[in-house]
Amino acid sequence: MTYKLSNYIYGMVRVRIRGLMPEKFVNLCIAQHILLWDIVKRDDDLYANMRLNDFFRIRPITRVSQVRVRVVSYRGLPFIIKRIKRRKMMLVGASLSFILLNIMASYIWFVDVKGTKQLTTEMIKEIASQSGLKPGIVKDSVNAKQIEKTIQLNIPEIAWAGITFTGTRAEIEIVEKTMPKQQDNAPADIIAAKDGVIVEFIVLSGKPMVKKGDTVKKGDLLITGVVPEQITDNVSGQLDAANSPPQFVKAKGIAKARVWYETYGETELATPIYQRTGNREVAVNINIGSNKISLKSADLDPNAEFETEVIYKKLPKWRNSGVTVESEINIFHEVTTSWATRTIDEARDDARAKALAAVQNLIPETAYILSRTSEVLDTSEPNLVRVKVSVETIEEIGQSVVILSQ
Amino acid sequence: MPSRNRGLQKLAGILEIPQDIVLDLPRITMLGNKQILIENHKGIIEYTPSLVRIKVSQGELIINGNNLSLSNLQIEQILVEGTVRDVVYDI
Repeated sequence: MTYKLSNYIYGMVRVRIRGLMPEKFVNLCIAQHILLWDIVKRDDDLYANMRLNDFFRIRPITRVSQVRVRVVSYRGLPFIIKRIKRRKMMLVGASLSFILLNIMASYIWFVDVKGTKQLTTEMIKEIASQSGLKPGIVKDSVNAKQIEKTIQLNIPEIAWAGITFTGTRAEIEIVEKTMPKQQDNAPADIIAAKDGVIVEFIVLSGKPMVKKGDTVKKGDLLITGVVPEQITDNVSGQLDAANSPPQFVKAKGIAKARVWYETYGETELATPIYQRTGNREVAVNINIGSNKISLKSADLDPNAEFETEVIYKKLPKWRNSGVTVESEINIFHEVTTSWATRTIDEARDDARAKALAAVQNLIPETAYILSRTSEVLDTSEPNLVRVKVSVETIEEIGQSVVILSQ
Repeated sequence: MPSRNRGLQKLAGILEIPQDIVLDLPRITMLGNKQILIENHKGIIEYTPSLVRIKVSQGELIINGNNLSLSNLQIEQILVEGTVRDVVYDI
């Protein structure tokens, strides 16, 4: 092992020995302490390995033994060094790129902000750059603890700020304080958000405009925030509503109403199923700005049906800033159509499920559902099943609206 | 010469000295029929892939075989590799 290693370090050559007395050459080499190995005879020629420094000593021996020695191949460290010496610029370039990489890696090139909810990242970046953390700064000159403290002091909404470095990227992590919600005390009315019949009506503040059992339409005023001041007339002792100036309050109250919903669901008895046959045609366009250049157009069979898939390939965003350059690949998959038929019962269930899903989106979660009915409607089209679903609920329909004209 | 040798051999037996050193004989080690190592040789006479003739103190050692190659040649030893069929002493 060490023998082979030393051979590699000193370099070795494989030589072809041609001549009258190759055996004499070998014997003389042995006598001169010239190491030979892997000697093979092929077509009267002798091939042998020897060390590179021995190779320069065999000239007298070749003359004595009347052989011609020629190098067939060589390997080892001296030959590699020689090759590298010949290509000095490569070495210079390699070391230069290594140095450049090290220099570039010691700067910060990106600043990211994470964890913001109410605050803008620009605001935090601004404060960070004022205290020294901005792209293009040497990483070692950044005092992370100091900047964390500055950010926390400058923005009172921040509970905690942390700065971490990953390579050339600095990440500012922010945790915002959760502020208590401010109560809105602006004067407001309560109006109906939906049509319905009032079943429960409690006024906490404001003046009622409807009463229990009334039918209201969407947008009707339920409780008004405009309340006449209760001044008792000294003379008559009666309430004088007409002359008193109005007072504005925020109307509060509960207005529960019976609300009806109606939705429809449709299902076809036979639905088409498209299946790709595997045949496809590809068209390639290049879009430069608003111009379209067709590189390859698709040769389509006008009788066949196709499904179109469009793939856009763009350059990275920063290179695409001026004129948009993108390639557009249209793939036309040929399809065969088969019809899946269903029984009327299955179609009706499916239509009802669709209708119910639609009505579910309309009903708020807090609503109390009184009844749910569904009926199949007659349609003129033979292929269609239509189901109507009606739902009756009791729910809160009051909606607070700020009084604008004061 | 042979009588002197016999005397030396006796002496070596009495003094328990390895005889190859005293008598300048080759030491031949075979590893199956794959390798044959000849120590204390006097040089090679002929080499072909099927025949290797090596000069030793007593005369000539002839190795017949296939694909023979001289793997290691040094002043005190020769290593022959390949398929050895027979080893013959020609005195």
